[in-house]
Amino acid sequence: MPQMNFTQFLLEIADALRTENGPKLAGLLKPVEEHGKSLVKEFRNPTKQSLSMYEGSMESPWDEIAIQYVLVVNHCAKRRAIEAFKEECQLVSLFFRYFTQNSGWTLPALFSILRDLRDLAFDADLEARHKGQGDTANMEEAARIISKAFSNCITDRSSPYAESRRWGIYYVVGLVLKSYFRVKRISLSKNIVRAIDATPDIPPLSAYPRSHQVTYRYYLGMLNFLSEDFSKAEQELTLAFYNCHIGAHANQVRILTYLIPLRVLRGHLPSRELLDRFPALDDLYSPFIAAIRKGDIRAYDETLDRFERRLAELNLWLTMERARELCIRGLFRRVWTASDKATRIPVSMFHTALHIAGLDVSIEEAECMVANMIYRGYMRGYISHEKQMVVLANTNVFPRLADRPNPYALV
Amino acid sequence: MSTAASSSTAPANSAKVTEPLREDDAQPTLGVLEEDDEFEEFAVADWDDSQTDLAHLGGAAPGAAKSGGNKLWEDNWDDDDIEDDFSVQLRNELEKKKSGSAEPMQH
Repeated sequence: MPQMNFTQFLLEIADALRTENGPKLAGLLKPVEEHGKSLVKEFRNPTKQSLSMYEGSMESPWDEIAIQYVLVVNHCAKRRAIEAFKEECQLVSLFFRYFTQNSGWTLPALFSILRDLRDLAFDADLEARHKGQGDTANMEEAARIISKAFSNCITDRSSPYAESRRWGIYYVVGLVLKSYFRVKRISLSKNIVRAIDATPDIPPLSAYPRSHQVTYRYYLGMLNFLSEDFSKAEQELTLAFYNCHIGAHANQVRILTYLIPLRVLRGHLPSRELLDRFPALDDLYSPFIAAIRKGDIRAYDETLDRFERRLAELNLWLTMERARELCIRGLFRRVWTASDKATRIPVSMFHTALHIAGLDVSIEEAECMVANMIYRGYMRGYISHEKQMVVLANTNVFPRLADRPNPYALV
Repeated sequence: MSTAASSSTAPANSAKVTEPLREDDAQPTLGVLEEDDEFEEFAVADWDDSQTDLAHLGGAAPGAAKSGGNKLWEDNWDDDDIEDDFSVQLRNELEKKKSGSAEPMQH
């Protein structure tokens, strides 16, 4: 928006309301625009009191929203992030009054002011940390306000379908979940997801813009991953990945960081073509994948050790530790191919192979590992304990990992 | 609002500069993931299939792998012919075992 004085600003708002121009309204309320700067110049040290003369100058709550806007841009110009955030909170709450009385045409403006609210909360938390006052109080407050926006969207039962405020649900939820993850209050996210699942008549997720779908599925995938519902996590992250814009590289990296290990657990290894597109993930996962392919348990364990800190930071250490089983399967499979795919292989051969691979285990432990592999469905056969012999099935001795019925089962 | 909006990247970058280099050289650098664990705003709201990886599916469902027409994931990767030190050692041990286990049979 170009430069304008306060009176022009009010007229522009009135015009946006009259023509139901959501994008224009969004632009007018953005604190980073030219017109904001000109309003900073127009009013020196404005306060709610000094601006109270403008109350009633247009239909409520827009007179107050316009006043709040002047306060926000002024604090931003003076680099007072905490103050700016407080005034933006007020602005958003006033906006809700209008929002809930109207159809969804104002959604572009809602999205925009909620994004600004989060950005300001982020800066306010930084400033608070500099001053030694708490750490995430502002972002928590932002999350609380954005959750209200979510309720205001989901409760729309009167607007026509095409203009329903419900078209804002998934975008707003994306912002709420981002905020909860930022302040590490992840358990609160589940209430939101439950509220969506419990509400009938929400248009199907696939009917929403792809940016809303992908963001929601990413967070849903992450929630399921963190609560160890790996099967659900894999489904959501798969859909997030395949619907993501290929130009949004950083987001694709975020999705794949969790999708790759989940896919590996079910026997789907990322192809060279995929890894070449994401060098950071190539660096992280290629050593593990090469080790699984070769059954090189020593290389696998070394990588697990070497990357421990990074994997732990990403909550991925346990997952990669579980995928170690796939590597042991690979090792045992190599014993079988080296034995010309014999159906009877002494336990001592598996023991020897583990030793060559660098695992210093006893023969009893080796037998136990074989028993476990059989029990977990990685190889088919049984152990004759007296004869210390592993008797293998005639066919499909090592079923394809992709064919395991419950790849994520824990026991 | 010069302090805001740019939000995420700046503080994380400055933190990285001040952090001394340690054994971290061994850790893979994850670019975006290190700076910020936040999913980014998309530049546009909506897009077509042609701007996604759905093209790689060749009509398959998104859960598929290579055998299902999706070349980004491999599901048939068991290799019977890996030749390395490990195979050589493994075969030598196997030979030793065979000749060793033959002995008691002679009695």
